[in-house]
Amino acid sequence: MKNLFRTAAVAAAAAIALAGCGGGGTASDPSNVSPTGEVKPREISWLLSRPADGAVINIMKKIADDYAKDHPGFSLNLITTPDRPSYIQKLETLAAANKLPELFDTDATPFAQQLAKQGKMVDAEKLLKSLDVYDDYRPSALDYQRFDDGSLHMIPFQFELEFVWYNKALLQKAGVSVPKSLDDIPAMCTALREAGITPIALDGQDQWPLERYAAYQPFREAGPDFIQKLKKGEAKFTDPAGQKTVEWLASLGKAKCFQDGFSSQGYSDAQNQFTSGQAAMYNIGTWELPSLATDKLNPAVREDIDFFTLPTTAGSATAANEFVSPSGIGMAVNAKTYDPLVSDFLKFALTKYPAEYAATGALSPTTNVETAVPANATPLYKKALEMANDLGDKQAMPWDTQLDPTTNGRLQQELVLLVQGNITPEEFTSTMDSTIAQNAPKFFK
Amino acid sequence: MLPNRSRLSVLVFLLPPLLLYGVAVLFPIMQSLFLSFFSWNGISDMEFVGLANYVRMLTADDIFWRSFFNALGYLAICLVLQLGGALVVASLLTSMRRGRDLIKTLYLLPAVISTVAIAFLFVRIYSIEPVGLLNQLLHWIGLGALERPWLSDINTVLAAVSAPEGWRFTGLYMLILYAALLSVPQELEEAARLDGASRWQLFTKIRFPHIMPVWITTTIMATTYGLRGFDIPYLMTNGGPGQSSELLTTYMYKTAFTSTDFGYASTIAVFIVVECLVAVGLILFMLKRKADA
Repeated sequence: MKNLFRTAAVAAAAAIALAGCGGGGTASDPSNVSPTGEVKPREISWLLSRPADGAVINIMKKIADDYAKDHPGFSLNLITTPDRPSYIQKLETLAAANKLPELFDTDATPFAQQLAKQGKMVDAEKLLKSLDVYDDYRPSALDYQRFDDGSLHMIPFQFELEFVWYNKALLQKAGVSVPKSLDDIPAMCTALREAGITPIALDGQDQWPLERYAAYQPFREAGPDFIQKLKKGEAKFTDPAGQKTVEWLASLGKAKCFQDGFSSQGYSDAQNQFTSGQAAMYNIGTWELPSLATDKLNPAVREDIDFFTLPTTAGSATAANEFVSPSGIGMAVNAKTYDPLVSDFLKFALTKYPAEYAATGALSPTTNVETAVPANATPLYKKALEMANDLGDKQAMPWDTQLDPTTNGRLQQELVLLVQGNITPEEFTSTMDSTIAQNAPKFFK
Repeated sequence: MLPNRSRLSVLVFLLPPLLLYGVAVLFPIMQSLFLSFFSWNGISDMEFVGLANYVRMLTADDIFWRSFFNALGYLAICLVLQLGGALVVASLLTSMRRGRDLIKTLYLLPAVISTVAIAFLFVRIYSIEPVGLLNQLLHWIGLGALERPWLSDINTVLAAVSAPEGWRFTGLYMLILYAALLSVPQELEEAARLDGASRWQLFTKIRFPHIMPVWITTTIMATTYGLRGFDIPYLMTNGGPGQSSELLTTYMYKTAFTSTDFGYASTIAVFIVVECLVAVGLILFMLKRKADA
């Protein structure tokens, strides 16, 4: 028995040592964005959560190769994990071990804010200003990356607009028109179902697409502040804006708005349902323009596809030109490894990136370049891009980047149950308000 | 009794695996036990909370208890499919004259297929839009009323995620039990047959008692594997809809890597270790009592 205790004590001591390694770690001054000294080329790494063959990675590879021509010995190691939950796990584990690389992707989550508070991320606002590119960025692209206190620690590489894409022929068949208000959608779903049409194709497996719907009513009813207060427990689902969304989500479920078994259907399932003409609507961003507004789209539905922006409601606190316009996952710069080389490379990369990115047909997070419409695009492509020129000041933030992780997980689970009719709006409200009360204080002290 | 030199050789050769076991198994368990007394999100300072995590887990966490009972349901379905199915198939194999190897291979095949492939395969099988194999079969045989989205229905999802795990390992346990059944002395069976024993009596009085030690081993293996079940439910439903297919293992994983609550996740990990030890103890106790009776 004595030996057993001794073994346990040794293991515990080792565990303390290991845990100590994770918690601490020195960080450089995150506001020092102009490190002095010689640029010594070496390999730097970027831990990212973006598609391996996507435009961002391809362009950054090319830019890194160009930089290496003048700086022999330099290379950019791109470590990508496109699956977001797996990526977040990797990021958190590396952060705990104090082993984050020079550059890493993150949303403006409460976890990232804690990293920033610990001085582990370079002040991106100062960095962009020091590189003289800050004013090139769209204000809303930068705002999307900001934490609650207004500080900026991530650099955007994209700019997207989220619309509801719809099939004109299917709406006509069901005798319905584009909804004028969010409140029109349940009745629209009922009519589509009666015509034998699946109203909305939804990727339920990834959970964030359904969470978007939870954000819409409060954004129209109470503006962008609602989620800022809700996540801290200063607003509740029992408030009028909260109840409006709970009742609306339950009514979407009752009207069978989403395809049967949506909770186990994935991203490509939802996309296929819409592009094959089986579903009438599909809520997705401009990152899918190449598959929705080019000749790659199924010819059988190509002429019938159009989109509308997030409908308003009666007495809406936000305008029709204000909706979800994210600038994607941002890139943070590790303050601990920030040195003249990283600084010099970022200056090189960030000045060259916008033109390269816009040439691929995507919306740049900056305004100093014009997006090239691809030769195979349908008229819808240009129409979608032009929406970026007329955006209002407020934007609807995706809730999955705002809530603390435990509340976010529980909300995603309860939303499915609410929309499937497995729980009542009252049960949903009570569960979520108590979950926020229990978990928010740990993250928003 | 081994001579001294041989005993020393045995000890020398056993030491490296024992050390490896200590580092790979015992140390993480001790570390989890240690962390379970702390509140820690991985990046902030660790805060000692004593038994608070245990109190929260046992008295104030509805998802924990839901996951615990789901895990028991998952285990029950896996055991019935794996051990029950394996025993039936192994017994039938002993009566076969031809094609045994083909049947054995076919049954064993799922055990060597990647978990991810199995999960995706079954997601398609259970699908309703587009219609999957199971719903199509029900439609063809006139049971269209039973068609449903198996993985989205809170009443069927637990059974739906348990079945692939059960199906996957039936062949493995079948092989073990088949090998055990082959070792049953033929003369005993013949003597019983001459005494007029039915096939059922032959099985319950001769064969099964003879393979009891192997049965105990397979039961322990299947139980501990079942309690540790994670990958297939996680990949198929991520514990949903709601918490309908959440297991202790998936809940522990999410608590650690989604909620970044490493202290509380360690508390759940300690519970899983204790749960497995209790389950094995119970199996041994019950089977020993039955053998003594």
